[in-house]
Amino acid sequence: MADNQFGRSIDALSRRKFIATTGAAGALAVAGCTENEASEEDGLSGEVVIKGSSTVFPVSDAMAERFMEEHDGVNVTVDSTGSGGGFENHFCPGDSDINGASRQIKSEEQDHCAENDVTPMEMQIAGDALTMAVSPENDWVDCMSFDEMSQIWQEGGAETWADVNSDWPDEEFSLYGPDTTSGTFDWFTENVVGEGGNHRTDYEPTEDDNIIVEGLEDDPYAIGYFGYAYYEENSDRVKALEVKESEDGECGEPSLQAAQAGDYPMARPLFIYPSEEAVQREEVYEFMKFYLENSSAEWIADEIGYVPSSQEEADANLSALEDVAGN
Amino acid sequence: MATADESSGSWFGADGQVSQRRGLLFKLSCLGATLLALLLVLVFLLYVANDAIQPFTADSGWLATVAATVVLPALALAAYYYRDAGPSGTVAYISLGLPIATTLLTGGVVILFRHVISPHGWLALAIAAAVAAAVLEAHARTRTASALERLAVVVLVPWFALIGIPGFSVDYTVKTPLLGQELFDLTMSVPTLVPSLRGLIVSLPVLPTAALSLLASFTLPIAAVAAMYVRRVRESDRAGAIGGVATLVAAGLGMVAAPIAGLAPETGVIAATVVGTPVGLYVESVQRRGEGTAGLAFPVVIGGGAVLAAVLVNALGFAGPDLWLDWQFLNSSHSTTPADAGIYPALVGSVMMLTVVAVSAFPIGVGAAVYLEEYAPNQGRAGQFVEFIEINIANLAGVPSVVYGVLGLALFVRTAGLQSGIVVVGGFTIALLILPIIIVSAQEAIRGVPDSMRQASYGMGATKWQTVRSVVLPRAMPGILTGTILALGRAIGETAPLLMVGVAAVVRIPPNSFFGLFSAMPRQIYSWSRLISTDFRYGVLAAGVLTLLIVMLMMNASAIVLRNKYQRNS
Repeated sequence: MADNQFGRSIDALSRRKFIATTGAAGALAVAGCTENEASEEDGLSGEVVIKGSSTVFPVSDAMAERFMEEHDGVNVTVDSTGSGGGFENHFCPGDSDINGASRQIKSEEQDHCAENDVTPMEMQIAGDALTMAVSPENDWVDCMSFDEMSQIWQEGGAETWADVNSDWPDEEFSLYGPDTTSGTFDWFTENVVGEGGNHRTDYEPTEDDNIIVEGLEDDPYAIGYFGYAYYEENSDRVKALEVKESEDGECGEPSLQAAQAGDYPMARPLFIYPSEEAVQREEVYEFMKFYLENSSAEWIADEIGYVPSSQEEADANLSALEDVAGN
Repeated sequence: MATADESSGSWFGADGQVSQRRGLLFKLSCLGATLLALLLVLVFLLYVANDAIQPFTADSGWLATVAATVVLPALALAAYYYRDAGPSGTVAYISLGLPIATTLLTGGVVILFRHVISPHGWLALAIAAAVAAAVLEAHARTRTASALERLAVVVLVPWFALIGIPGFSVDYTVKTPLLGQELFDLTMSVPTLVPSLRGLIVSLPVLPTAALSLLASFTLPIAAVAAMYVRRVRESDRAGAIGGVATLVAAGLGMVAAPIAGLAPETGVIAATVVGTPVGLYVESVQRRGEGTAGLAFPVVIGGGAVLAAVLVNALGFAGPDLWLDWQFLNSSHSTTPADAGIYPALVGSVMMLTVVAVSAFPIGVGAAVYLEEYAPNQGRAGQFVEFIEINIANLAGVPSVVYGVLGLALFVRTAGLQSGIVVVGGFTIALLILPIIIVSAQEAIRGVPDSMRQASYGMGATKWQTVRSVVLPRAMPGILTGTILALGRAIGETAPLLMVGVAAVVRIPPNSFFGLFSAMPRQIYSWSRLISTDFRYGVLAAGVLTLLIVMLMMNASAIVLRNKYQRNS
């Protein structure tokens, strides 16, 4: 573009260079200040990676938020991948430090971890009341026994409500439940569906509990299950069933108090699994200490809707942590 | 067209009864399809915007004030421009859009200088690069004869200026070639041998403040470009100098004024440079052309109206709408309380990830396209093989993104041993995903360059390399850039590959290096959609979606502007 004004172009170039040089030199001369690197307040820094159960996720997320308010140099990242997905893809290959789980670790998962020299430590940090819920329009059932639930949810189980109880309408079920990667699914299969039959596959499986709530709301013949926190948030949209363990047992309403007292049959423990190797790192150790100390705090019930662990459990977990960390 | 009906031998339409009904129906159904598509998108956008901004939660007094001070004057002015139908309408909408667009761009640049490269690092880089360029220039002028020496200088000078000789360590067992007997171990490690000029500058005990560094290394080059531009269009050295100095002074004022407004001085420098320079140049060009200067009143009226509205609303005590998308949302990290939740770390993560994507995918993609279009054989067996490759690249563009996520996990995490969930892993994975799109669009752009231009170039005696470099690539660049930016627009919205490579749902600290853990905007939005509280799933989520949409629209708009600009020039 400047071919026809070559002389001027060179002229301007030198002027520009002059401006650039004087500008840079001037800036250097004017400045007397050096920048102070911001120092970490308590010197604790590093990363803590948490994966695993979507049920445990709210607890870990809240713990991370509170921990980082005190130690802003530690980057605690939280992810919800499902209990099994977390063990399989992240924790056992050694990519994460802590795995949340809404069930106990399986032996094949332990083997997988051992192959990669990862040693999981089991710590129960909260409890949940698994809630079986139906549409608010459902007026024929208020309480269900484990046997009835098993008939509904087992492989090749009942097709219509009348198949389970002749007093109920002769309409087909719409079944909504957690996905097979979910720890909730595993717990329910093992403890309620029972060893006789496996969990049926012809239901609407989802990783997103909100979809279950929407499904129940829209269909009077629907039934589904999820953690108590979802029920608490949506108690105006779905109806929770009382449950009893045996036919002649007593019906128990899902609530945190009942789960804590052990009166509710579908109360289940929630776990986190830190690896012994990760706990050797100071930031993971400090975070775990914080987590366990707070696992018996009341805000877990108030803010998240889970049952906090008992003081004895928290103390036992803490001493296990101390043993492994060697402090 | 002279077409005869073969059965009757008469000309079509000869009987004077051409039916237009089918054509009309076809036209109407096409129109219907267009309207349906637009309507669906519009409805969705309105829903999201309504959730994110919640205009009806405001006091009616607030709404009335805003309507009276901002909306009505703007509408009246717009009506005037429309009736006038002159160039002032164009000027009005550009002069309103430009400050908004450049303000958003400022946000991106601020993030860049806060998290990707520090102002000092940039200053050192700029000085080292300038010194290297000066040395090269001096060498080219004084020693013109020796080509080999020239090559050595061209390679070594930038190397020493920017990289130096880093320290290295060797741990290698020397064996006999055939039998494999171990002879001796070669183990050594060296500290940094020769520090680069860049490293030397960074390690100086006394450095200018960050804001001054930016003034010298960021604003100064931009001011120089602005000065050059003004000098060229006004054909006056004096005007050029005024333009350049005005840019510097504006940035200096920004530095001084920012602390008063409660911002960092660096932010002031960047904002004054990034917003001030284009706006100033545009106002200058409107003034110079002397057409549609009335349009410049539009942003002034709206801005003045907004200030007036703010003052009035404050004085009268009307409560504004209950915004989800506000400054606090943009500037804070995820929280378990919906009202405190924000998108900042994910925004930074997305910017850094896009940097990795652009730097890694663009050269490879364009290089592949240039080879396939200009050099690859197109005849015989080899030609068939090349065609086979091209078909496969086109197919790869349609592979589901989650597959690329698995590929990224296998390639970068399991094989290369990088930590999962860090910026480079996410960036490389997304780069793989958009690579085929970049290649295909760059190929299209290169194919669009008329062959006559290549022939003319060869006719002038140019080599293949000279033709590609000076004729084909400049001509194809707008198309290549458009394709790349559209691909980056897709990249910023990808979620599934990020899930696969272990990008976490919640990261509260923005990454401070390319090897840090990060979260990206779509990943953050996805995790909000699964939280229990409805405030997250409607309010916070909508605010996040709107942020992502605005960034994407900005990128697409800049693609359009770039394309128009180059097309006008060429």
